[in-house]
Amino acid sequence: MDILSFFGTLLWPIKWVIEAILVAFHTLLTSVGLDPAAGITWVLSIVGLVLVVRAALIPIFVRQIKSQRRMLEVAPQLKKIQDKYKGKKDQFSREAMSRETMELYRKTGTNPLSSCLPLLLQMPIFFGLFSVLNDAQHSKVGVGLLNEQLSSQFANAEILGAPLRLAISTADGNATVIIIAAVMVVLMTASQFITQLQIMSKNQSAEMKASPMYRQQRILLYLLPLVFAFSGFTFPLGVMTYWLVSNFWTMGQQFLVIRNMPTPGSEAALAREARLAKRNQRKGIVEEDKTGGTVVVEEPKNVQRQQPLSKNRAKKQNKK
Amino acid sequence: MTRALAFVVLLPRNVCVAILTVYRAVISPLYGDVCRYYPSCSHYTLQAIQQHGVVRGVWLGTRRIARCHPWAEGGVDDVPARTHDRYRVTRSGFVVASSHGKG
Repeated sequence: MDILSFFGTLLWPIKWVIEAILVAFHTLLTSVGLDPAAGITWVLSIVGLVLVVRAALIPIFVRQIKSQRRMLEVAPQLKKIQDKYKGKKDQFSREAMSRETMELYRKTGTNPLSSCLPLLLQMPIFFGLFSVLNDAQHSKVGVGLLNEQLSSQFANAEILGAPLRLAISTADGNATVIIIAAVMVVLMTASQFITQLQIMSKNQSAEMKASPMYRQQRILLYLLPLVFAFSGFTFPLGVMTYWLVSNFWTMGQQFLVIRNMPTPGSEAALAREARLAKRNQRKGIVEEDKTGGTVVVEEPKNVQRQQPLSKNRAKKQNKK
Repeated sequence: MTRALAFVVLLPRNVCVAILTVYRAVISPLYGDVCRYYPSCSHYTLQAIQQHGVVRGVWLGTRRIARCHPWAEGGVDDVPARTHDRYRVTRSGFVVASSHGKG
């Protein structure tokens, strides 16, 4: 068995589900009165697909946010580890530091990382959609609910005169396709930038900003446009639409989380406290402790231990 | 002679090492640090292939990726150790015959 047909077999169930969701949205939209062959109907079907997939991934995201909130409890221990390896940049120290950090996360159940499962789950969906569109382009019938008529409609669906199945590489000089793909690449880059900058500049505590990981992330941010430019060149507009809408979802999700449940100790948390205080003032509420159970308001922690004073000294200090 | 033999025997695992090294340098940084374990899944698989060969290494790596999901505990999880002095790992990660030529 060659490798392509092996992947084809693996993708079969995913393609089936993707087609089912697409066709379901398409039927729904047609029954509302949209033209079944129009580009907008198919674009909205792709948007529907994004909504279903991303909504299914919400529980994973919520879990990640929850453990990030609990990070506050282990912040002092984390600081201790960071201080221990401060200024040691050799490979062995950094390895030992990662080891200790991971062990701390495990012991306290505060691992803020989400594993690559969300990505792994989305990857086949992405390639499944790619292959559905690709098949439609070569007027092949889908594997499931996408019958001949629907598949040819999908293949010929156009957005502002650009067929959804084309990419820059297959556009054959079709200027509309190239322009739309370029606009999508720009939008994708912009949304990714906004999401990342939001997280990095607003939602990270000062300690995290000092870590080498933060700097690494910053560099990556400037590599992303290249990746998106490449994908705009390779992937058909339909796949790009999926990716773009998915990016917009991430941006909105991130915005809501940062606004309503910011990382304790970050800029966004201070902004939220200020906002709440202002609102309470406007409403004439004097009581400050109305933030509710879901929000963790950071208390200023006194890290330095207060030295016990002898009786005499305490007296002297009180006199001052 | 033994050297040539070792090169042939070790070729599959060095090909895998090369693929994984490229992946870790180019693709992995794109989505940043997400692994709940130390070493990360790709680093784990790399070490497993270096120490146990392609078949066992890929098997160990696959099991590790299956273990790594948002509900997993995470933490430190090393490749099961195997003591052999037949091979050694170069600085770039490739496996070669030990220089003292025991094998």
